[in-house]
Amino acid sequence: MGNDSTATLLQRAIARHMGAPGTVYDLQQLTGGANRTTWSFDADVGGSRQRLIMQLSAAAPEDVPHPLAEISPHPTAEEGAWLMIAAVKAGVPAPKIRAILETSDGLGPGYITERVDGETLAPKILREATFAPARAKMTQQAGEILARIHSIPLSEVPFLKGQTAEEMIDAQRKVVDFYDLHLPAIEWGLRWAADNVPRQARRTVVHGDFRIGNMIVGENDGIRLVLDWEIGQASDPMQDLGWLCVKTWRFGGKYPVGGFGRREDLFAAYEKAGGQSVDPAHVRFWEAFGSVKWAAGCLRLGMRGVEEMGVERCAIGRRIEEPLWDFYELLEGRD
Amino acid sequence: MPLSTPKATILLQAAIKYLEEELMPTLTGYHRFKTRVTANVLNTVRRELELRGAQASAERKRLGALLGHDGEVEELSRELAQKIRDGAVTLVDPKLRTHISQSLHDALAINNPKWFDR
Repeated sequence: MGNDSTATLLQRAIARHMGAPGTVYDLQQLTGGANRTTWSFDADVGGSRQRLIMQLSAAAPEDVPHPLAEISPHPTAEEGAWLMIAAVKAGVPAPKIRAILETSDGLGPGYITERVDGETLAPKILREATFAPARAKMTQQAGEILARIHSIPLSEVPFLKGQTAEEMIDAQRKVVDFYDLHLPAIEWGLRWAADNVPRQARRTVVHGDFRIGNMIVGENDGIRLVLDWEIGQASDPMQDLGWLCVKTWRFGGKYPVGGFGRREDLFAAYEKAGGQSVDPAHVRFWEAFGSVKWAAGCLRLGMRGVEEMGVERCAIGRRIEEPLWDFYELLEGRD
Repeated sequence: MPLSTPKATILLQAAIKYLEEELMPTLTGYHRFKTRVTANVLNTVRRELELRGAQASAERKRLGALLGHDGEVEELSRELAQKIRDGAVTLVDPKLRTHISQSLHDALAINNPKWFDR
């Protein structure tokens, strides 16, 4: 599908779903990949020029599904769009859906959202002086946003798949076995996780990948938009708080919450915004297990790199010890 | 390893020097980024060639002591990994913890020595 045909199909889709004439300007592919592409463009809709984003998912499922395809929850593009609609309704700054694409649009599964400006790159957000006002606000905002995400009624998003901590641990073991990796360090981490699963976990909507890189940040106003809803799930809400604290997602920042904040401030903001009361040990489980899970993620991405012979993904495979090192440091109290 | 010179590690050093000092300054965007990643993986290979031999013999000794018999590093690691998963060893065994920490430390010294500086 070349740029021209994408633009033509897109114009027709916009005219149909949003309003004529749907003329498309400045169509640019922002990210590409085997599974998903993101496009930025402007469009004429009913006499006003609108700033938009299109997300497209891979159209045809593979003939033989990947053996690991089912190990993690993965809403379809349409389900992802409905999750974002429910999130916006709950007061979450999620992308505002303008159209959900249909088969007859010819673009494959996907959706169109409003486009929001801002920064996604961790080094800029965490280190540049111009982002200091944002950093001062982001912990509070993260607590409030997570409380709102966790308040979305599960009945509004019944398609979300549930996953318990035990199921997630089993899933990582399947990844390790599939790639025939025999690493005592990751087995130790997985057994630690299995031995320390928190009891009395609630079940709510969980974003699943809430961290810097998946949010658009403004210099003065902080978190503007929460992106990447494609692993949304019905799970233990403390997972989202722990994942934000995983050392990998601090990107070298010195504070435990995303590199920018303190845990106690995150928990206080979360509780004040209506989230359940936070047991720090419960969150700590998810932070520790998050590192082990990301180690298995490095393995998966690295092996995909081998399939593609892509140097960037191959290099991610060699990062597997980084989160494992962090996991043991966290257990030793060095966090 | 052939006896001819320069050694593989020197060849890699020279290739990395070309990529970093001559090629990268002429590039922007996608190719600059990919060249950076390529230089990084070549550096990983260089460190592996320099460090892995001594690391592997020490690892083999540690694994032999933990499992009570000798073998190749890969086979011994496989056995230990399985024992950990099966619950056949206690997680808090200090010798096991030391072995795991040392193995992670060794791997990071090859894959990303900067990880210790954060």
